[in-house]
Amino acid sequence: MTQTAGSITAVGSYLPLLRLDRAVAAKALKHFGLGGRQAGHRAVAGWDEDALTLAVEASRTLVATPPARVVFASTSAPFIERAHAGVMVDALALPRATRTSDVAGSRRCAVSALLDALLAGQDTLVAAGERRSARPGNAAHFSFGDGGAAVRTGTDGPAQLVGWASVSHDLLDSYASHEHDTPYASEERFVRDVASARIISPTIMAACTMAGIEPHAITQAAVHEPLSGMWKDVARQTGATAPNHATTLSAAAGDLGAAHALFALALAFDAAQPGDHVLLAGFGSGCDALVFRVDAPVAGAAEARAMLATGQVFSDTIHFLSLTGAIDLDFGVRSETEQKAQATVIERHGRDTIGFIGGRDMAGNVQFPKSLVPVRPDAEGHEPMADVRLADLTATLKSVTADRLNFTPDPPFWFGLVQFDNGARVPMELTDSNPEGFAVGDPLIMRLRIKSRDKRRGMRTWFWKAAPAARPALATDGEG
Amino acid sequence: MATGIRDRVAIIGMGCSKFGELWDKGAEDLMVEAFEEALADAGIERSQIEAAWMGNALDDINIGNSALPLAHALRLKTIPVSRVENMCATGTEALRAAVYAVAAGAIDFGLALGVEKLKDTGYGGLPLRTKGLANDLWMPYGSAPGTFAQLAGAYSARHGIGAADLKRAMAHVSWKSHQNGALSAKAHLRKAVDMETILKAPMIADPLGLFDCCGVSDGAACAIVTTPEIARSLGIANPVTVKAIQLSASHGWETGYGEWDGASVRNTQVAAQRAYAEAGIRDPRSELSLTEVHDCFSVTELATMEDLGLSDEGRATFDILDGRYDRSGAIPCQTDGGLKCFGHPVGASGLRMAYEVYTQLNERAGERQLAQVDFGLTHNLGGAPFNSVAAVSILGRLN
Repeated sequence: MTQTAGSITAVGSYLPLLRLDRAVAAKALKHFGLGGRQAGHRAVAGWDEDALTLAVEASRTLVATPPARVVFASTSAPFIERAHAGVMVDALALPRATRTSDVAGSRRCAVSALLDALLAGQDTLVAAGERRSARPGNAAHFSFGDGGAAVRTGTDGPAQLVGWASVSHDLLDSYASHEHDTPYASEERFVRDVASARIISPTIMAACTMAGIEPHAITQAAVHEPLSGMWKDVARQTGATAPNHATTLSAAAGDLGAAHALFALALAFDAAQPGDHVLLAGFGSGCDALVFRVDAPVAGAAEARAMLATGQVFSDTIHFLSLTGAIDLDFGVRSETEQKAQATVIERHGRDTIGFIGGRDMAGNVQFPKSLVPVRPDAEGHEPMADVRLADLTATLKSVTADRLNFTPDPPFWFGLVQFDNGARVPMELTDSNPEGFAVGDPLIMRLRIKSRDKRRGMRTWFWKAAPAARPALATDGEG
Repeated sequence: MATGIRDRVAIIGMGCSKFGELWDKGAEDLMVEAFEEALADAGIERSQIEAAWMGNALDDINIGNSALPLAHALRLKTIPVSRVENMCATGTEALRAAVYAVAAGAIDFGLALGVEKLKDTGYGGLPLRTKGLANDLWMPYGSAPGTFAQLAGAYSARHGIGAADLKRAMAHVSWKSHQNGALSAKAHLRKAVDMETILKAPMIADPLGLFDCCGVSDGAACAIVTTPEIARSLGIANPVTVKAIQLSASHGWETGYGEWDGASVRNTQVAAQRAYAEAGIRDPRSELSLTEVHDCFSVTELATMEDLGLSDEGRATFDILDGRYDRSGAIPCQTDGGLKCFGHPVGASGLRMAYEVYTQLNERAGERQLAQVDFGLTHNLGGAPFNSVAAVSILGRLN
């Protein structure tokens, strides 16, 4: 190996709270001969989550120091023209001098971007978020999952890139387009044969060769399968014997698209021991295979494993269809609210809002939003304020209600007065309610969520919402 | 040194339209109905009115901006007309403007009229309003019941009142208002409702059920004011006078500074203390004959009883259950049914409250008439507990 590559310094991961019980939900399609035999869970984003919020949540632990570059990766990004990486910079309160780019085009885009960052030896945050649509009855509607994953690269991380290879191959296993924005899949047998034998396996073999190891020396794998069960074919073709954490992730949360391989990589790192070789392979219009040598535990890997163990299972089919946008429920006249956001206002307030930046006045009181004259009762005039980010602080619920009159796509509309431990107080929307709901005194953490959606103009805004400080343990029923 | 407006302005005529879901009436009908009653009551000519203030909170719902709709409806020829808006406290704000103009000596006769035509929205409840483009980026879009429901949990936590006790006291508030509303010919809801029905009603915003929420209504109410001297010259020997009108507004303290307990409305407390001082009332519990408070939601009335100083802190639950604020109680509240049953056409409500106190002071309340009425208080609350405008007025007789 003549080229010096970078390393992974830390990983991040995020799944939405809700997990669909696939087997129960599939029964609703039995009449139609659809749904198939299902098992496991599908991570389902709340109405207020999208590819951007999922990517941001996965990235939050990775930006204690600002990266030089942020790459946002997704095939389901909400905007066609508006850079999400730039929004991420504001949401994560990173300097505006941060270099940014969005990548898309295939599920592989995040792994490709990661490889680029590693080869460049850059201090880069590669963040993927995915919330893909599919039509009910399509296998993807159950096999997809929503989630985010992120990787921070550098030059002195515990996971060193030691081998890599790429193959470009325009295989039409599944596609989506502007004219057909849900997946259109080819015959599974065709995909299974061609993708494994001509694309994935050769790429893995090449990467292992470059790393100077045989595939059976790989101890943990994160290989994005085009179809479930394909790792067996790849393992047979390559001689690999490692467990594939991407398979585990598919069963537990679904195929996370661009975020899938990175999330699975975190799981693989969690299972790896120092000295192990870990394989990462991204698939889609080709393949990128990366071999890492793990020298020490990777920060964030254990949290990815823990993420799989918490959540809230549901099986209400109509709820699932509504959350995934597969049906458009008529919420009546009260839902006809005007939520237009103005560019001029976003220019003035957008960065502080999505960054949840409040201000500390001259007497030390913290407030949100900032104001020229502080809210402090004894303030007598204009004071300078120092920025204080509230997004990463804990808080307590001061007052609350479940509002059943106000329109929300997923009733009830929870909101209340949130008291931050640093003294700031903010009326906020609440999200990710546990089954028992919210109560005064509940400990809270902040989550970036969609604040408003202006469907008529294709516009949305984001802000932070308060969520329970802890998620319930996922009730396990035996499957991955 | 300012001395306030106590007894410097008399109310010589009041009118109030029928409140309700008035599918066949527009804002013009409502304004004319209320005004013609007030004009007849005052015994003056329309042309004697020198200035008018129109209170309307939601101008986009079939009324229109400015006060021109009032000038058009009543054909007020070239006099100054102004629209005032202060959320649900709009009605009292209109009265305050007219009263201040007379007290200042700028005019002899002023008109305050509040009107709202809410049932052209096409749905129940108040419309969701934008909070301003910058605030919309972060502030929750809560409904009115959602914002006031927050009082309940905070009140329980603050005073250690169990949810069941609080719920029962809230239900009693609504039960009492239904009893009174049934006796008010112009009220929106005129049917008595039993406690069990109230307690089992569908939830709107936890813990507020359907019967914890006031009606959303169409309606108008108005007052004609002048000086006590002119009132006497018109043959009104002992006119109803304004003892006080005070208003307190949030500046962000509740939501932005970590002091407020969420269990009370500070602006009500402040406005009440100012009003008592202006009116010369030292002991409201013994001096007030009745109150018309802003019972947009049952829990609001409960908290208001403490904020007005009529119940000790943490004791309103028990005072309510003891019947202290029933029509037969020590300090009757909402003798006309209140917002809960008389209805809540937002811009009209403050004037409707004054209309009931005025009616009681003039001993015209029929079956609802209280035995002894010396001072009546109105409490008109705009916004939400955490961001409010509270208007408190006190009416009595000149002598």
